[in-house]
Amino acid sequence: MNENFTNSDILIQYLDGELEGEQLLAIREKIATDKNLAAELESLRLTRTAVATYGLKKTIGSVHTEMMKELANQTPAPVISMRNLLKYGLRVAAVLLLVAGSAAVFQYFTATPEKLFNDNFEAYQLTETRGNANSNLLETAYKNGRMQDVMDAFKQLTVPQPQDYFLQANAALRLRNAPAAIASLQMLQKINAGNNAHYYEDDIEYYLGLAYLDNNQPAMTLPIFERIHADKNHPYHKKISPWLMQKLRRLADQQAVSR
Amino acid sequence: MGTERQLPDSIILAVLRSDKAPDEAIRQLYRSQFGVVANYIKQNNGTDEDAEDIFQEALLSFIEMVRKDKFRGESSIGTFFYAIARNTWLNELKKRGRSKLRDEKFEKAKDATEMDISHYIVHRELRAKLMRTIDSLGETCKKILLAFYYENLAIKDILQNLQYENEQVVRNKKYKCLKQLEQMIVTDTQLAENLQSILHE
Repeated sequence: MNENFTNSDILIQYLDGELEGEQLLAIREKIATDKNLAAELESLRLTRTAVATYGLKKTIGSVHTEMMKELANQTPAPVISMRNLLKYGLRVAAVLLLVAGSAAVFQYFTATPEKLFNDNFEAYQLTETRGNANSNLLETAYKNGRMQDVMDAFKQLTVPQPQDYFLQANAALRLRNAPAAIASLQMLQKINAGNNAHYYEDDIEYYLGLAYLDNNQPAMTLPIFERIHADKNHPYHKKISPWLMQKLRRLADQQAVSR
Repeated sequence: MGTERQLPDSIILAVLRSDKAPDEAIRQLYRSQFGVVANYIKQNNGTDEDAEDIFQEALLSFIEMVRKDKFRGESSIGTFFYAIARNTWLNELKKRGRSKLRDEKFEKAKDATEMDISHYIVHRELRAKLMRTIDSLGETCKKILLAFYYENLAIKDILQNLQYENEQVVRNKKYKCLKQLEQMIVTDTQLAENLQSILHE
């Protein structure tokens, strides 16, 4: 071996596949018998991998910057000037305060399950970006807002996956077919329970509550929303306001009394 | 902007496994996956910034798994990528210690993950520390090591880009730089002890 090279240099040459013939055999023998050398080889190998990871991270970082611009251009976020917001906001706030009290009272006494549903239902947003060519028909239809196509595509599935059930339930809600939404969400809960899985667990809970509302079953919605309302870590916690709970309790009580 | 062609999963995987620059495959993953992942994170206590950070972490893990043949297209890229991003985010939430309840949910969710990917979701801090260590290496060393071990350029090609006398000088510099970096890592006990798991080896 070249006398000018240290053991480390030779290990790196070995690692990079630059050795051959007697040199290769000699270093292999050394590595096999010298634990320290073997450990250094492993350490150098990992360092080499670390460099590759570093390079990949740099590439991702630079593509990230580029893609954030591209994606932002596709879905431009509404720009709200803070100055304008304050200027007009303060004026509007004064008027709103005046009418808010009477509106609240009116809302409380005129609330119906249907109104609560309409006020609170927002279809699950699958994605804001352009669709993937590989998405299945159901997913693509959902992304494009073709809810009846989602329902039709679901019927064609022999073995629907959790996402299919969930999207079909949301499509049913958009089409105001609450029983179908309830059936799909309940089925998804059963699938989760049977497989000890947690697909869309929190989402199912929230949308099932809404589906019951749309199905004129506020008493069924109440315990679900009580749970979400009490759980500050629930992703939908913020959507269940104390005011909504007040109205829901009143509707559930009304329904209990009427039966 | 809507005219870029969508690559099928098989092509994306082939590009990521090859020696070719992964940039276009990464762009495709952004176009098809970023919205889904960002939605999930934002609906689960995350911010826009969290979504961007987690997406980049998930990309890194995903590409490394593809390159190590841990994902061969058994499910769609979308399903697999979502699982990685979700686990990365749940790990982050756990680390932030939002609540005991969230931890319990995390444990349940982790058990239910069909694909054994938890091994690939490393502590982000350790990986970041490793990246900072490499960052602190001199610019010339970084250029040579990246050219050789990331871009897979031949010594003669590296020689053209850097001002050295001949190929042997570049080789010697490469040995010196790799050894220097190895020493920087080895002397950091935390990094040295966790290097294998950080690099998914």
